[in-house]
Amino acid sequence: MTTEATAPAGRQAIGRILPPVVTGQEVVLLAVIAVLWVLLGLFTPSFLSVGSIGPLLVSVAPVALMGIGMTFVIITAGIDVSIAGMIMVCSVITAKLLVNLNLPLAPAVLIAMAIGGVLGAVNGLLVAYGRVHPIIITFGTWNLFLYIGYRVFDSSTVNAIPGTMAVFGRGAAGNTGGVPHSFVIAVVLVIAAWWFLRYTRAGRNLYAIGGDQETARLAGISVRPRLVSVYLITGLMVGLAACMTIATGTATLDQSVGNGKELEVIAAVVIGGTSIMGGRGSVVGTLLGALLVQTVRTGVTQLGWPSQLAFLFVGVFIIVAVGTDLLRERARRAA
Amino acid sequence: MTAQSDRARGGLVARARTWVDSGGLRDRNVLLLGLILLLVVAMTALDAAGITTGRFNSDYLVGSLINYVPLALLALAQLFVITTGRGSIDLSVGSIVSVVGMVFGLLYVNAGWPLVQAVVAALIVSALLGAVNGVLTAYFGYPALITTLATYYAFQSIALVITGASPISGANIAGLYSAADSIELPLIGAYLPLVPLGMFTFVLPVAVIAWLLLNRTTYGRSLYAIGTNAVAAQWAGIDTRRTQLLAFVASGLISGLVAIYTVAQFASARPDAGTSGAGMALPAITIAVLGGVAITGGIGRLSGVLLAALLIVWLNASILIVVPGNAGTQLQYLALAVVLLGASLVDALPTRRARPGKDPGAPELPVPVTTKPQ
Repeated sequence: MTTEATAPAGRQAIGRILPPVVTGQEVVLLAVIAVLWVLLGLFTPSFLSVGSIGPLLVSVAPVALMGIGMTFVIITAGIDVSIAGMIMVCSVITAKLLVNLNLPLAPAVLIAMAIGGVLGAVNGLLVAYGRVHPIIITFGTWNLFLYIGYRVFDSSTVNAIPGTMAVFGRGAAGNTGGVPHSFVIAVVLVIAAWWFLRYTRAGRNLYAIGGDQETARLAGISVRPRLVSVYLITGLMVGLAACMTIATGTATLDQSVGNGKELEVIAAVVIGGTSIMGGRGSVVGTLLGALLVQTVRTGVTQLGWPSQLAFLFVGVFIIVAVGTDLLRERARRAA
Repeated sequence: MTAQSDRARGGLVARARTWVDSGGLRDRNVLLLGLILLLVVAMTALDAAGITTGRFNSDYLVGSLINYVPLALLALAQLFVITTGRGSIDLSVGSIVSVVGMVFGLLYVNAGWPLVQAVVAALIVSALLGAVNGVLTAYFGYPALITTLATYYAFQSIALVITGASPISGANIAGLYSAADSIELPLIGAYLPLVPLGMFTFVLPVAVIAWLLLNRTTYGRSLYAIGTNAVAAQWAGIDTRRTQLLAFVASGLISGLVAIYTVAQFASARPDAGTSGAGMALPAITIAVLGGVAITGGIGRLSGVLLAALLIVWLNASILIVVPGNAGTQLQYLALAVVLLGASLVDALPTRRARPGKDPGAPELPVPVTTKPQ
């Protein structure tokens, strides 16, 4: 490593800038998920079975994928609330193409991601060059995307969608040896994103931008292209997640497809330990956050409790997860 | 100063230019008023040309105010919270509307409480829910976005679980519908269109109290002060935590009022009243921002929020009688996007230096305006 050559002080400084390989938050999350899985395994007969864990992982995948983009965005001290609109546009156009042209898998996925990329680029360009807070920009584009989505929907549902996307789904085509393909894709991309954030200049620049945009600019970072890129990546991930959403549904797609998704993704990101103020965060945490939320939802259903009760636990988890992070941050400052 | 020498030369054009140069067009209220006027004139022309599917007249405009009540009130709730600064917003207002509506329904229908007691109890609950947000944010140091995201989920869940996700309705709730009905004003009413009662029983009192609070009390000044610069406000002896807590309590209380209005409007207490579809919170934040409330805090006027809500409600109503049916409903999203993005982007355009000193949002606060070098 080149850092061997630098002075110890320099190495220490780098160590402080670099996010640790596994943050405290991630250890806590893993422990909580492990405890929950053991408890649920004890109290429900079927939780720890392939038939239950498989679908759980399938529903984690799209949230984790969108969470990668959202983590990037939040690390730059931005936010993207337009995800609900984006996923609607991507999924409805792709679904209609599948129905009308009977597209094969690869072009369909590419088209979905391309649409997501275009929508994300719109967000990115407006945020980077518009001098307006990202939450306002994305509130605007959220409405814009909803308009496009509803226009394409035309009637309330898209029916008889062919099973092209089944490789991402819950069924037999969707997994190999009990491991769902969509979850594998999510894990691979999370690892790639983790590597990108930790070991590339562009990735670390994102932390710098989130820490202080003006300082980052003065330090020679091209802030605007970087900002465009994080929203663009979010769009691409939403496109891929839209394919998985089409697969996990039945053969119909209805207009509620994106409802509340932006908050679900933000919840996964903040439970994962990413600071909403920017400058700090990890995609591995986001994956674990998504896994925790989905575990709670599956668990509550399997315990026979009212399914809406899961959201109460999600709320409590957000408070507890961010609370432990706040405490650690305070301890670190005091040290 | 060039602006002054222009004015000295007189002339309408020069004067207008001075006004524009000094940031007159950037005044959000002027922009909103202009857009509202433009809309009414354009729609009247379309109506005269016979293009509209229904009559665009004062009856229609005033009647559409029934949608104004919840939207304007929740946007006012956001005004309090967003003004406290540090990126504060309240995502939980929709969930509070759902929970408080259910509490009101349980007390009024299932427990058979008299109306006044049920309303008071529901409002106390709403203030407590707001206080939960406030304590977590102001005293425990959670970012407001996190707090209210968590309580958005938690309150929504409670509202759904209380009755197993079924709505509460009954004869006495159905009787409340008259509270959301339109009435003829006394004395002069015969010459005017019927006005939705909620404008007088809900919007007017809340707007007056909120205006007095924001502009005529120490509390209002503290609110703008902590939003402008929390550290400076603290050194000036302001209890910043208490001020922020009370902003969330105000937001909760207003959401509680919306809950009762919504129960009356739908003649039943629905557990998903504030969270179904895209929810009530995001549109309310959008309206507040459109009304000129700065997301960074410290800037925002009640009049701007009320005008922004009026513009959107009338714009939506206009779209519906030009483009009927589904296409019209869809077009409303596009219209909101265009207005919000347009207003924000125009506002952020670099212009010649705005007149120094007076910031439109803050009512003559002796707090230095922090400017960030661009």
